Amino acid sequence: MSVDVGAYRWVEPTRQRAETVKRLAVRVLVGDRLGLVLWLGTLAFVGLYWRLGFLINDNYTIANALVALSEGSFSFDTATYGGLESPGTNARDGTYYGRNYGQVAFALPFLWGLRTLSAVVDPGLLFAALWSLVVLALALQVGRLTGHSAAAATVGSVAALAAFVGNAAVATSIDERLLAPAALQLSAIVATAFGVAVCYRLVARLHDRRVGALAAGFAVVATPVGFWASVPKRHVYVVALVLGVAYALARSRSGTDDDALLSATGFRALAYALVGFLTWVHAAEGVVVFLALVLVDLPTAPSNRPRDLLVIGVVFALSLVPFFVTNLVVSGDPILPPRPLRGYDGGTAPPDIGGGSGGSEVNGGGVGGGGSGDGSTGSGGGSGSDTGPLAALDRVAAFFGGLFSLALWSLGVVQALLGDGAQQLLDDPDRLYRIFVRGGFISDVASEDENQAIYLTVTESGPLAAGVPAAVLAAAVTAARRAGRVSRDALRVNTLAQQARHWRRSPTVATDWFVALVATGFLLVYFPRLPVHATVTVRYLLVFFPFAVYALARAPSLRRVVHKHARAGAWSYVAGVLLGAQLLFVVVTVRNFGRGEAFQLHALVGLAVAAAFAVCAMASVLDARADRPTAVTGGLAAALGTDFLLLSGLVYFQYGPYALPLSDALAKLLGIA
Amino acid sequence: MDRSTLFVYATVTLIVVVSVVSGPAMGLVDLTSPRSDTAGLGQGNATVDEVDAPDRVRIDRGFQSESYRLEVPDARVHLAAVTGRPILNYRIEIPALGYTRTSSHFLDSDSDGWTTLTLADATLSESAVSGTRHEGQLSIVVQSNGTGSTVYNRSVVVEVSR
Repeated sequence: MSVDVGAYRWVEPTRQRAETVKRLAVRVLVGDRLGLVLWLGTLAFVGLYWRLGFLINDNYTIANALVALSEGSFSFDTATYGGLESPGTNARDGTYYGRNYGQVAFALPFLWGLRTLSAVVDPGLLFAALWSLVVLALALQVGRLTGHSAAAATVGSVAALAAFVGNAAVATSIDERLLAPAALQLSAIVATAFGVAVCYRLVARLHDRRVGALAAGFAVVATPVGFWASVPKRHVYVVALVLGVAYALARSRSGTDDDALLSATGFRALAYALVGFLTWVHAAEGVVVFLALVLVDLPTAPSNRPRDLLVIGVVFALSLVPFFVTNLVVSGDPILPPRPLRGYDGGTAPPDIGGGSGGSEVNGGGVGGGGSGDGSTGSGGGSGSDTGPLAALDRVAAFFGGLFSLALWSLGVVQALLGDGAQQLLDDPDRLYRIFVRGGFISDVASEDENQAIYLTVTESGPLAAGVPAAVLAAAVTAARRAGRVSRDALRVNTLAQQARHWRRSPTVATDWFVALVATGFLLVYFPRLPVHATVTVRYLLVFFPFAVYALARAPSLRRVVHKHARAGAWSYVAGVLLGAQLLFVVVTVRNFGRGEAFQLHALVGLAVAAAFAVCAMASVLDARADRPTAVTGGLAAALGTDFLLLSGLVYFQYGPYALPLSDALAKLLGIA
Repeated sequence: MDRSTLFVYATVTLIVVVSVVSGPAMGLVDLTSPRSDTAGLGQGNATVDEVDAPDRVRIDRGFQSESYRLEVPDARVHLAAVTGRPILNYRIEIPALGYTRTSSHFLDSDSDGWTTLTLADATLSESAVSGTRHEGQLSIVVQSNGTGSTVYNRSVVVEVSR
């Protein structure tokens, strides 16, 4: 192949421009090449067990909303998927609305893309072709990263081609009707990939790239984040956005980069903007994250000059515009998200304010307290005539009235949700055991799960989380040492001032507190409802898994394990995946286990390994001689998380054709065994 | 351009070209076999010569679960003269527990000879299971042209182990 440079003089400059754009895009979206590798790796990994279809019936609602939105409307009159009584579908004025519109809007470009591609490529082969291209891109990037470009290109090409040929050989046709759910799923997978990349960027910035890459990789392959990656519930979007907020917050505290694209204030504003988008996906969770961010950001910010606050406020307000607009259309009230509509079904519809004149009607009255259904924080907002010269002023007043109501509504949510959760937590702390340690057969939960004990706790589904106590211990030990040092030269003003300055500047302090507060907020909000059916892995607390991995990465002793005993950990992980998955499968098959029983097998083995890892990791904090056992048990704990993803993805849950025909064939083979 | 780069371009080109050539716009070849072709299903006929069905069905306590597993062993049937695409139903009925479960097997002309009929295991709640021994009914029905003809119907022992 040769190019006549004379005839194509535009080629080289265009190539250079494309290169610049590519470099900028990689930097902004995934950080660096390692981030890109993690991003592509996530797509390739989740693609292995991606089944096109619906795992949970309230996904029908989201898919119907997506189809409606692709036709230019928020509402739908007929259910393309499932029925109009699917959970989350709301009726108002004789038509039906979905929820989580932020998620739906994000999926829209994916639906356009898939519809366009399926016009020229058979949907039965489309996903296989895309997957092969992702694998090839992944191999090329790994090659560039490790300095073996040529070898990686060859291996990647062979692998991509072999996978494609294999997939084409066993491909079956896929119904076009699956494209909308597939677009939702693809957008969720991509959101997960961004979450993984930002997790890497966060940890790499606080520590180093190796720990960052490992933490991010484990967050998806060794915890239920990988399970929910291809299920378009809100959870993976929330995970990606919350991690994004944490990253922006950390960046706003470390002004070390000369070539940073945003200033410290810019990163603060970005953090708030991401919270705004999160509110669009799920309002109550957005409020929790907003509160955590404000509580951490304002006291520890490098500066809170009016100008900074103005920038942040304006950006935050702008980021909430999609949320307001959606609410206005769906519920008729800009600050009433679609979700609590359900509570108004029985005749007590929200006050109808006669639509038609755009954003001028803000009625702040009668706003319920979020998903829990109770709590009633009424508030006054602007309202009035929509004619005459006062209309514009009225609109502005209405907007601020709306913001004011939103603040009160938020407080209502806090009061109703957090307060309720805290009360129940104090009354019934035993339930924590059922959420974090051992679930087993819980009659009330299983009766809704077709009598199958398919409820796993946080530790059962992601044994790696058992290392969190060790991370807390490490933090306590560090704090105790520091306290000892401070008390020696106690009350010296200089020392205290220095300490205060360190706290204001420290990205780790801010991020640690943010993570802790968000985790507490989520626990309090969802505690009254947990344990609950159809959550499989306590999905309401999915954000706990990347947080757990973050906590592990923050422990100095575990970072030492990663650096000094990587080989032992890697071998134990590989053995745990290759042998462990087979052993679990053999037990499940030979003993003829049903889904619930298989889950309990995973739970018990997971708990055993988790206990060993927890003990070793705590020992490691106190004494480096325990590092090697920690590496081995940690590798196994991660492996059990992966085993659960692979077996649940290929064996336990079948709800549609696999995106990859070869996975379909493998799943059929495993199903017969 | 070195060889590995050439290889990469060749791979991408091949994947794209094969995808497009087999796609709906060009459709020169069809690489995807239909997933579930329902055309003519339930039409035609089949003769069942011989049936080898279990005489015992078990209900076992679930592992780590306060529920039960119903396990129905496979049945084998010898088929002859399959025409069209009739459906074969394999069914368990346990009147004492008010329980029935049916599996459907789609037949075609390749099905002549021995065929294995499976009935997936089921999870039963604790309250749905009582006693230690019941009588059940196993049946095999050929569905063709809108009518079903029972080719096997015997009682089985249902053993409950607690």
